[in-house]
Amino acid sequence: MKVTRRDLLVWSAGAAAGLMVTPVPWKILDDTSKWSQNWPWIPQPARVPIETKQSFCTLCPKGCGLRVHMAAGWPVGVAGTATHPVSRGALCPLAFGAHQLNWHPRRLRTVRHGASDSSWQAAQGAFAQAAKEGRVVVVEGYPGRAASSVFETFAQKHGGRCQVVLGSESRSLKPYELWTGVNASSLGYDLENAKTIVSFAAPLLDGWGSPGQFTRLWAERAAGMNDPQLRLIQVESSLSRTAARAWQWVPIREGSDSAMAAGLAYALLEQKLVPAHGPVPSATLSAVAAETGLTPDAIRESARTIVAKTPVLVIARDENPSVAALNVLLGSVGARGGVVRVLKNERPVLSADQTITDARAVLIDASVPWEFNPQTSAEVFRFAAWDGGGSREDWLLPAPGFLEDVVDVPTAPASSVETYAVAPALVKATSEVKSAAQFLGNLDSTLLTSEKIIQTRCEDLFRARVGTLHGREAIRVSEVPSVEKLREELWKGAVWTGDASPPGRLRCELKEWPASAAAKTVDDWSSEWAAPVLPPLATKLYIESGLREAPQRRNA
Amino acid sequence: MSARYGMVIDLDRCTGCGSCMMACAAENNVPPLPQSSERTGLTPVLVRKVSNGKDGTSRREAFIPILCMHCEHDTPCVKVCPQQAVEVDKATGIVMQMPQRCLGCRYCMTACPYHARYFNWRDPAWPPGMEKSLNPGVAVRMRGVVEKCNLCHARFHAAKEKAAAAGKREINPPDYVPACVEACPTGAIHFGNLADANDPVSKEARSPEAFRLLARIGTEPKVYYKSKEAWVRALAEPNSARASEVQHG
Repeated sequence: MKVTRRDLLVWSAGAAAGLMVTPVPWKILDDTSKWSQNWPWIPQPARVPIETKQSFCTLCPKGCGLRVHMAAGWPVGVAGTATHPVSRGALCPLAFGAHQLNWHPRRLRTVRHGASDSSWQAAQGAFAQAAKEGRVVVVEGYPGRAASSVFETFAQKHGGRCQVVLGSESRSLKPYELWTGVNASSLGYDLENAKTIVSFAAPLLDGWGSPGQFTRLWAERAAGMNDPQLRLIQVESSLSRTAARAWQWVPIREGSDSAMAAGLAYALLEQKLVPAHGPVPSATLSAVAAETGLTPDAIRESARTIVAKTPVLVIARDENPSVAALNVLLGSVGARGGVVRVLKNERPVLSADQTITDARAVLIDASVPWEFNPQTSAEVFRFAAWDGGGSREDWLLPAPGFLEDVVDVPTAPASSVETYAVAPALVKATSEVKSAAQFLGNLDSTLLTSEKIIQTRCEDLFRARVGTLHGREAIRVSEVPSVEKLREELWKGAVWTGDASPPGRLRCELKEWPASAAAKTVDDWSSEWAAPVLPPLATKLYIESGLREAPQRRNA
Repeated sequence: MSARYGMVIDLDRCTGCGSCMMACAAENNVPPLPQSSERTGLTPVLVRKVSNGKDGTSRREAFIPILCMHCEHDTPCVKVCPQQAVEVDKATGIVMQMPQRCLGCRYCMTACPYHARYFNWRDPAWPPGMEKSLNPGVAVRMRGVVEKCNLCHARFHAAKEKAAAAGKREINPPDYVPACVEACPTGAIHFGNLADANDPVSKEARSPEAFRLLARIGTEPKVYYKSKEAWVRALAEPNSARASEVQHG
């Protein structure tokens, strides 16, 4: 066959046309793009300098110190502040993704009324009308802030009341309130001076308290030591992360914490390991053994182990009077290394009711966990930065997100160190958001703003001349030259700590051994994370690694 | 003088909190997992839970963060890469992955004895606006390439730039700390220069409690682990008679 020039041209044209319907050109294009990284839809961060600013995490009441890396006005990463006297540079895992939360798909950007969009004016009008017609109940999650003061003043002026949803650490201190007459929010656990800590399922190594406070202490005094300076005994039904790392794990049946506490008390008294004073639990060791799944001898042995190294501190996971009574028996209430009074003049807080019947309006602050949904016929105004889904509230109001508002950070729950700090607004909100305190301030112009209250608190600290300011270096407040300087330091990320004082005996009266407390469901996400969503990267914790169970109630 | 950066991870201090995984992902602009995915996310550090294989009160558990071991000898991923997209940096000892050269054949993933390499199955994507939260120091990797831990090499560059600005050739060691080391709340991850006999990490790596995963295959990993627990140390050689005894005994 003779091949002509025409044939060559036809074949060439055919091959070229045919090639276009094969994957080859597209693969070449794809590879070229891959090598050059030039697909327009792949985001590439702008090459801008990174600046580091000090702040505090306000996503839960623990207020850990943060170093926020900022680029072009946006936070691009967070790390812990090593000089923070309580959190000591540690953060919970969720905090490392907190800077992405403001862009979460479930971020609330508009006022919602029922199922439809509304406006701030309409919400304010509705709230003002409700406040005129009846009582207002304000519910919040982090007491002691400047915003808390705004809520209290508003409630007092309008014949309402302020309630607080306490975290599990604060709730575990509630029984002492009744026995000592001191508010639970004024009490703390002196972890620093304890030699043995008996934890009844409290996740001490898993986000309990200020995450850095106990984990750093444990790492220094206990981790990997056969005879540690600090003995952590975990009484828990399952081998949790804390139990796995504890010096001793005492496995008991689920829900038998109260019985175990009574059994230990009985064994302590029976073996004369503690002075016999106060009430005696009625339960016998054999009954406790049957309930907990341990033998009577194992309970006796545990009792001996507990008192082998003192001071001993017992911590419950939640409000459990039987477990708290063990501290009374061991003489750990008001003693060094025990339950101590931290704040002198803290006002009592009213725990939030699950059912609110006597109110015309309920205002829920953004600091309240999303799971708190009171049963009420009142009109509910809920502030939240993110929509957790399944909302039953009448009004859903967009609150400032991560670092979008000036917030002061008072003493963390259950901490034995009195602290005060200010988290400045480092990020501009991209939509119109208001905090609950600003919302109330718009309705009642006589209310002081949070900024003004923070300023007053700075002045009070300066005038009192006590405590230390932990900034780049620690300085005594008495050496700070002016209130402006103190304010400036606090705004730059310094932390004020009160002077440690001897615990002083707390008068503690326990008339009878408390009845068993109902066991609560254990949540694998122990951190008191108030935001209704998790950072998108949190899937690393429950999908990629399977370290935790998938969160049922939170949206990643 | 060239360095040999490495780690010693004290497993007796690891509580399995996952802070290292979160901090690493945020630092290195790892995209969030698409909702439809199951365990296909990128985890340059992956914390695994291990146990002594027993039940009841005898059960013991520990957590092992697994990352690129930065093998020094006969580095398996380097040997199999047809594109020269993986190399051991002579100045730092870090096993570097260059996404621009990677053609996505995944030979390196097959060769890696530690399963510490991950394939980018999708275009990296973030919810609208979230790209503003990306770390400007780290480039986003494209679909179709393999990636892994590079000991936060961007932080090494930043430390080099800082040293250069101060007129120095060598970096100041505290200026170069990988994100996982910085994030660990118990201080379980120690990082340093193994080539410096006086470096605390170098000393720790020589302690009797230190061990390396699959040391018998001779790849000389620069990530060491440490534990006082014999059953944990035995897990380093999963096929050995000793480990088998611990796991099933």
